[in-house]
Amino acid sequence: MTADTTAMPTDVVHVVAEPHEVAGLVVLALSADPTAAVHVMCLGVPDPATAQALTGCGAMSVVVLAAGAPVPSPGLDRPEDYVPAVAERLAGATPGLVLVPATVSGWEIAARLATRLGCGLVSEATSVRRLPDGGWCAERTLYAGAAVQGLEWHGRAVVSAAAGRGGPGALPPPDAGGAGSGGPVALETVVVDRDTRVRVTSRTSRERDAVDLSAASRVVCVGMGVQTLDDLALVEDLARALGAELACTRPVAEDRGWLPVDRYIGISGASVHPDLYVGVGVSGQVQHTVGIRDARTVVAINTDASAALMGQCDHGLVGDLRELVPLLAGAVRAAGVPS
Amino acid sequence: MPRAVVCYKWVPAENELRLDPVTRAVDTSSARWKVSDYDRNAIEAGRVLAAERGAELVALTFGDAGAKASQKDVLARGADRAVHVVSAAAGSADGHVTAHALAAQVRALGDVEVVLCGEGAADTYAHEVGPRVAEVLGWPVVTNVRELAVQGERLHAVRVVGGDLEAVECDLPAVVTVLAEVGPAPIPGLKAVIAAGRKPGEQVAVDALGLAPDALAPRTVVTRVTGYAAERSRVLLDAGEPAERVAALVSALTETGAL
Ligand SMILES: Cc1cc2nc3c(=O)[nH]c(=O)nc-3n(C[C@H](O)[C@H](O)[C@H](O)COP(=O)(O)OP(=O)(O)OC[C@H]3O[C@@H](n4cnc5c(N)ncnc54)[C@H](O)[C@@H]3O)c2cc1C
Ligand SMILES: Nc1ncnc2c1ncn2[C@@H]1O[C@H](COP(=O)(O)O)[C@@H](O)[C@H]1O
Repeated sequence: MTADTTAMPTDVVHVVAEPHEVAGLVVLALSADPTAAVHVMCLGVPDPATAQALTGCGAMSVVVLAAGAPVPSPGLDRPEDYVPAVAERLAGATPGLVLVPATVSGWEIAARLATRLGCGLVSEATSVRRLPDGGWCAERTLYAGAAVQGLEWHGRAVVSAAAGRGGPGALPPPDAGGAGSGGPVALETVVVDRDTRVRVTSRTSRERDAVDLSAASRVVCVGMGVQTLDDLALVEDLARALGAELACTRPVAEDRGWLPVDRYIGISGASVHPDLYVGVGVSGQVQHTVGIRDARTVVAINTDASAALMGQCDHGLVGDLRELVPLLAGAVRAAGVPS
Repeated sequence: MPRAVVCYKWVPAENELRLDPVTRAVDTSSARWKVSDYDRNAIEAGRVLAAERGAELVALTFGDAGAKASQKDVLARGADRAVHVVSAAAGSADGHVTAHALAAQVRALGDVEVVLCGEGAADTYAHEVGPRVAEVLGWPVVTNVRELAVQGERLHAVRVVGGDLEAVECDLPAVVTVLAEVGPAPIPGLKAVIAAGRKPGEQVAVDALGLAPDALAPRTVVTRVTGYAAERSRVLLDAGEPAERVAALVSALTETGAL
């Protein structure tokens, strides 16, 4: 089949996101297709600084959806509650791509919008492209990182994509050549009804470190093989000797609560790309190792020589961490390793 | 009797996939199949909830003929009844098709007050099917739940939303998607396995659900699945005294510039 690009219709991308996520997704839309006509539906009223940024974000139009009465108490509003209003507006809009952030709220919004619009959904796309025949193709991760899936479709689809972690940071800024609107646009505010079937009764922040694991040049990772707080202290000492950030596997954070949740690595956590990763008592399930793929050197410390991580590391130190970790910390210090 | 339904997916074990050495195409034919990881937590959460409510727990899956093999497992995990919606085309179904098939079977069961799904399936991890089922049924959905309770006709849940814990409530019937952290999924004991043999496992042809052709037409088509293979040196330090092994590691790391 030959491509007749001149006959290709203009791409329309609707960005549907909370105020602070909009700009990142517009960048993503314009980097996927610089000629796209990007229209924004902003879920909730932006603060003045964000509003200012949105006028020049590169979109052709920005509609702010504001909750009508009953107005929920501030902080108990949910972006999910705008789904019916968004679906109604999109039903009458030019079909095209609907871009939603790949966040917990975004996943739900994406799936519900796709169902209301009767269209497909690509969840957490890692790439999206227009095909010469007017269709689309995308890629996403499968089997928690063991594989990549290629997808194609024609017509409208909802696509969710990470606009935060590893997203726009790696992409050019909005003014780097995207066609967009060519200038600032006025924000139009529309008051809409919210879906009030699910009511928030309270919201609390989980303990966080605000640590940026993705910037760490060395990472020491605590796995479930680290069984006591004394063992944990040994691993912490190794991290200190190496000048490394301490990270962990999901169950160490989520089940044991030993480390804050922003310290776990994997498909549902952080991705790291350090010069050195040391996994201590980590079995190496793909859901975890997908997050350490870009590490330059991977070391595994495990009693089990047949643990999956042993087959995916550069150096596998077989034995009990209680014995090996203090020795390693001592040897690192003795070698005078700059940390 | 009211009903609780748990939707579970029958998937190949991701650590038993074979890759074609040249094309890296994924071959699932020699992999064992399993009940998707988080769906096991969902079944256990459903079992506890159904016991509290005096409800029947139905374990529901949509899959091709091969998924019949899953029924013993889910019955042993505590489902009172297993229903398998059979479609030869399930392998090429997307979230749209899957949700319509599951929702139609939920309607056919009747008297369902809650549908539980996993947060994401072990293969797709799309976080898609639960909220889609809710929309098809016209029910509210509460996603990413780590705590769950029902009082009267009201559901209370704690969601994990990014860095926040969000407590919510909604009326039944509703769809809930659960995190692994909702509670552990115990491995069924011998008694449970034997009891499972006496519980009903049903097959329902998808064509018997009266769905419009459009509901069964996938919106997206999978064009390829390519595996990932780690390229690492894999040097095992498993012989000699611990101090020697550690010294060998430190010198190797120093040589390669990792330290
Ligand atoms: C959909 C999905 C998403 C997931 N997302 C993530 C994610 O983002 N991140 C994540 O980490 N996990 C994730 N998981 C969980 C993942 O599958 C594994 O269960 C988890 O990573 C295992 O953690 P672990 O290696 O710490 O524990 P285990 O698998 O229990 O391994 C412990 C290891 O410690 C070794 N060990 C025990 N004692 C010692 C000792 N004294 N000295 C040395 N070694 C010892 C054991 O041999 C074993 O290999 C996800 C799972 C699913 C299904
Ligand atoms: N074929 C299926 N049969 C039954 N339940 C399914 C099926 N596919 C997905 N689900 C449910 O939906 C959840 C999320 O799947 P997904 O949206 O594909 O990540 C799973 O954890 C299951 O609970």
